[in-house]
Amino acid sequence: MKFFRSIIEIFGYSPFNALLRHAKLCGRAVGLLQQQFDAYRRCDFDEVERLRDEIDELEHHADLIKEEIRGNVSKSLMMPVDRHDLLEFLRVQDDIINYCEHVGHMLTFKKIKAPEDIWNEFEILLSKIMETVNEYEELVNHISRLIETSFSKREIRDALEHVPKVERLEHECDQIQIGLHTKLFNSEMNPVDIHLMVEWVVHLGHIANSVARAADRFRIMVLGR
Amino acid sequence: MVDILTITAILIGFYVAWNIGANDAANSMATSYGSRALTLKQIIIVASVLEFLGASLFGYRVTYTVAKGIVPIDMLNHELVVLGALSALISAGFWITVATYYRLPISTTHSIVGAMLGFGLAAVSQRYIELEQIKWYVLLKIVLSWIISPLLGALMAFLTFMLIRVLLLEKFRTEKVEGVFRYLQVLTACYVAFAHGSNDVANAVGPIVAIIGCKSTPYWVLVLGGLGIAVGVATWGYRVIETVGKNITELTYTRGFSAEFATATTVLIASSLGMPVSTTHTIVGSVIGVGLAGGLASVNLRVVYKIVLSWIVTVPIAAALTISIYTVFVAFV
Repeated sequence: MKFFRSIIEIFGYSPFNALLRHAKLCGRAVGLLQQQFDAYRRCDFDEVERLRDEIDELEHHADLIKEEIRGNVSKSLMMPVDRHDLLEFLRVQDDIINYCEHVGHMLTFKKIKAPEDIWNEFEILLSKIMETVNEYEELVNHISRLIETSFSKREIRDALEHVPKVERLEHECDQIQIGLHTKLFNSEMNPVDIHLMVEWVVHLGHIANSVARAADRFRIMVLGR
Repeated sequence: MVDILTITAILIGFYVAWNIGANDAANSMATSYGSRALTLKQIIIVASVLEFLGASLFGYRVTYTVAKGIVPIDMLNHELVVLGALSALISAGFWITVATYYRLPISTTHSIVGAMLGFGLAAVSQRYIELEQIKWYVLLKIVLSWIISPLLGALMAFLTFMLIRVLLLEKFRTEKVEGVFRYLQVLTACYVAFAHGSNDVANAVGPIVAIIGCKSTPYWVLVLGGLGIAVGVATWGYRVIETVGKNITELTYTRGFSAEFATATTVLIASSLGMPVSTTHTIVGSVIGVGLAGGLASVNLRVVYKIVLSWIVTVPIAAALTISIYTVFVAFV
């Protein structure tokens, strides 16, 4: 619109909505991964590949959001949180979906036959990671309330209550991983198959780990104002 | 001849008032629309009525400063004052139009003050007055008020929002607090419109008062300016309000209240001291103040450079333009 003098520009780009959208994509990616493991167990390998593509797409979408935030959060913006803390939080949160993508691909490398009890363990691990990321999403969901209340003490307390919960769940993931590793190394399966499945477990561990680290970076960002 | 020039001045003054209503008044009201404290229709009514009241009831001090505070017009002969003030008005009107076209965040206040200074300098160059006779002391006070007003707006908005934060947002549910401030923001919206009218009407009618040459500011001139602003809000300002308001949705009632209260109070203080300040720049200062108090998700400080730049540029441009137009007038009239 021509013939227009305005003060619009003083209201800068706000990254918080985008951060929330990015977090939701991470949660959805873990959900798809869970479905992918189910499909693998059923030997529905077409579905496994389809889900890999779907996760890829989510990861790409997340990258676009990440770039949008990085491209807009310039030094001249005055935000209620530290810019570096925010970007570091984003970087770690982005790791969650990156590792989802890795695992998604690893599931398409080879068609492995594995005993039922190992699949059961994987199912337990996946649902525990899902639980962790759900708890994490609840944490990040507090961002808009935090801004509305200008980071009131009560709201900070309510939000950060989720952080130790995420950490506890991540610890439980670790325990399941240890059990799964032991089972795999002691199984009668072919060594190459064992190796690949161990890789899955390690990378699933990275997902849970990134969720816990992102929760920690969120706390640093909120408290480091 | 003088009659024709006076009528021309009145028409241009009305145009400048219209432009102020269309852009600046609209901007000061957009914060109320951004938070949805009022509907667009309500805002236009409130803005038109209160801008008019502010201009007609409280605009005389600043108008006096613009008309007589900078150039010692009592020492010049009447015809010269008519030509000079008309040149200043044309120059300011032209620059405001160009800047608006290119969407530069200039201030109509700076334009008219620069333009009147240009008229003074032209009179000096013709040796009608001495350089020392330009009221530099008043000019210095005006420039100081330009620096102080955004700072005062920022400080007041910071304190206001801090109080709301500590006393209310920490203790009560956000929805409850915001609900109360929804009504309070209706009051501050009126307050801003009134303050804006009282200060900015001078930018349009100050030179007209100089031209008419009365001892005191005639009431009808202020009414004319107030009317121009009101018409500007109603005929074009609503678009500006809509566009700006859509982009500042993150401004909740408490934030809008803080920014508006600080802006209106600062501008009204300036009006009562007869200081022509920029309402737009005061709003920008106030928004930054709310941001400093942790009230906003994001404030873009790059705008500050743009504003400072537009300031430094506006005064000499308006002055130079006035001198050129005046020279042409003197040669042909």
